[in-house]
Amino acid sequence: MSAQAKLLTAVVILCVIGGGLAGYKSQKLGVPFWQDKRVDEWLVEAKLSFLATGKDVEARLALPANGVDEKTGQESGSLGYHYHVDRDDGEYTALWSAKNREEAQALYYRVRFKTGSGGGEPIEATGEPQASEIAKLPGSLGAAAEGVVSQAKSVTSNPDALFVRFFQRINSPESSQEYAMIRRYYEGEYFANPDIAMGIDLLGMAGVPARIAYGVELNEDTGAQDPLPLLEYFDGFAWKVRNPAEPTKAINGNDIFVWQRGGGSLFEVTGGENSRLSFTVVRDRIPLASLTDLQESPLLIATILALPVSERSVFRYIVLIPLGAFVVVLMRNIIGVPTLGTFMPVLLALALLEIAPVKGILMFTILVGAGLWFRFLLSRMNLLVVPRVAACVVIVTLLMMLMSVIGYRLGFSVGVKITLFPMIIIAWTLERMSLIWEEEGKQSAIIQVAGSLVVAVFAFYFMKISQIQYWAFYFPEMLLVLLAGILLIGRYTGYRLSELIRFKTFSNA
Amino acid sequence: MGVVGINMRNARFLLPNNPRRLYELVDNKLRTKALAEERGMTVAETYGVVRTPHDASRIEKILDGKTAFVIKPTRGSGGKGIMVIDKKVGKNFIKPSGVEVTPGDLKNHVSNILAGLFSLGGKRDFALIEYRVQPAKLLTDMSFQGAPDIRVVMLHGYPVMAMLRAATKESDGRSNLHQGALGIGIDIATGMSVRAIHHGNPVTHHPDVGVGLIGVQIPNWNTMLKMAVTCQEMTGLGYLGVDIMIDETMGPLMIEVNARPGLAIQMANGIGLMNRLEPIVAEHRRKPAADLAAKIAFSKKHFQAKLPAPRV
Repeated sequence: MSAQAKLLTAVVILCVIGGGLAGYKSQKLGVPFWQDKRVDEWLVEAKLSFLATGKDVEARLALPANGVDEKTGQESGSLGYHYHVDRDDGEYTALWSAKNREEAQALYYRVRFKTGSGGGEPIEATGEPQASEIAKLPGSLGAAAEGVVSQAKSVTSNPDALFVRFFQRINSPESSQEYAMIRRYYEGEYFANPDIAMGIDLLGMAGVPARIAYGVELNEDTGAQDPLPLLEYFDGFAWKVRNPAEPTKAINGNDIFVWQRGGGSLFEVTGGENSRLSFTVVRDRIPLASLTDLQESPLLIATILALPVSERSVFRYIVLIPLGAFVVVLMRNIIGVPTLGTFMPVLLALALLEIAPVKGILMFTILVGAGLWFRFLLSRMNLLVVPRVAACVVIVTLLMMLMSVIGYRLGFSVGVKITLFPMIIIAWTLERMSLIWEEEGKQSAIIQVAGSLVVAVFAFYFMKISQIQYWAFYFPEMLLVLLAGILLIGRYTGYRLSELIRFKTFSNA
Repeated sequence: MGVVGINMRNARFLLPNNPRRLYELVDNKLRTKALAEERGMTVAETYGVVRTPHDASRIEKILDGKTAFVIKPTRGSGGKGIMVIDKKVGKNFIKPSGVEVTPGDLKNHVSNILAGLFSLGGKRDFALIEYRVQPAKLLTDMSFQGAPDIRVVMLHGYPVMAMLRAATKESDGRSNLHQGALGIGIDIATGMSVRAIHHGNPVTHHPDVGVGLIGVQIPNWNTMLKMAVTCQEMTGLGYLGVDIMIDETMGPLMIEVNARPGLAIQMANGIGLMNRLEPIVAEHRRKPAADLAAKIAFSKKHFQAKLPAPRV
């Protein structure tokens, strides 16, 4: 078979497999092919991690009542643990147990639900809730607290209004001396969530039963997050839950998912230490029913979707790298843009995805400019190559720190994300650029760096298209089609656009 | 027009004809020279090879009183890392441009070569010290400093196209066309210069020294063609460029073989490479076992250019 025929066969096979799998997924399994037809569902994963001490382990995790009730999806993934859900008076608890565990352990519990069903609705109380016991405040503080409460009660006795009033003042303690004083006391007494403890006590003194609840912030970009403390209070008919940081805003299920209510403890671990609960949140665009089909499909096309959420979010960026590589191929082999190193622009584009492109390019330019100047200073010392590159790495690191500090002082937060810039890449860019500068003149050095930036910006905008991101993440088999495209370009023997300019004297002759 | 672009050069001529394993023969100048000497070709005499940092520290001993020489990395490309020394004044060495080089600078340059600064892919490398070619006066007259060389592009052992590369003030003694050196097209049949370009535009006279560039007869042309064909035979590469310099006393010297010759040669000759590569592919298919003389005769017969009036 000739090379041409082999290539065409490979291209056809790749297109058939890639396109076929994607078609199967969207036609048979109902995964929407176009992004705007998506179903918005949230997937919240709780990860309970701890260090087992070698004894029997028992772990309990309070579960969101609406996550278990409403037939929303739920699953628990933890190898080798006995697991069951305990139901007690409308409250659910997941229980894991295992014998003789050692070293680090991680237990997962996942809940998915539709956007808007965040579990913030009032619950009717069973029985008459009693105002919680109030810790006695010492001396003058007790008097201050009573003053504050009676002042509030003289204005209103509505539990909602009291809640808002207390927390507005707790959140800005400078508004009143009494609040500041009481708050300082709670900060000393309570290690975690002093604000909420104070709010609960003040509400209790005003005759409103209140207790702590926990929620999860529905924000994909935060990565692993700690439980968000919320407050539940009884308004005479039902328990209402609110976020004390935003006392006037009702929880509508779009920004916060209420994980646990009822005032019990969120989790408990016996037989382990350093236990920690964290949540990861992703917006899922595939209906639950299709997802189950996907994960059980023998074709293994669930791929990414079968992973724990915390690992899945890593792939949000990894699946974009082939797209960037494709842009590089286009720009170099069809257009003929000169770049410094072949795939440096892809890494640069990934960094731009994290930082805003204008800021990112500005930072890159400053770093390279300053680094280049230092590199020329170094070249006067006649250092050998490897130590010189290492010296560049050190200088680039220091420059990044400096930029972060200056950026912070000027009020930009770019500096914080700067570490994402691949430092070694920048150091090598400096080294290669200065070599080209010396060997071929500054013009070609600048052209090549500018070319790299242009390619990076194109790759960035390509990777930024949300439909493209959607396909890459939910239809990774489409990458096979992309691969076929790259193979085809690999045999493109026509002119590069830049060569039309280079050879233009021929058309004049 | 038949102009070949980089994609086509790579996909149709480089990749199928130049197997990866043969690149080592030409990327390492020591091996190329050894092969050439086996075939009885004239090359620049090797004064010494620096292989270890220890050798580098006693470089003056290796030089053994030589005052004119060239230091180059054995795996360099594109003229990177080549240092030319013309004479010695006191302890210091003098480059053609008149810049002084101290023995310390020299050692440092050799150390950089050993560390792989100039080699392909940054691999560790050796430094080659060899005879400083004294280019024939006819050629130095056509160049602003620097040593002009002649590049012959070959396919399957057939000479395809040739050009002379001459330095200008702008190119700073180098013969890289994209840095502003002149490319002077040479007729394959006769060895006479037919066209010249500077930055892709046709010129007739050297921009710095003012001498006419067209209609110059290159001496020893037939020897050079034979040299080029022999280089193809000894390396086995299908598509390659052979760089030759003409020494005032020793005549043509093979300098290096390039497995990825550039495309500017088309502009220097004013003709697309495709016009010549396709007939060669057909001829090679017809007579796979043609010998050296037959190949040269074929190229001379088919690739004859319209000759200008000889330069007075």
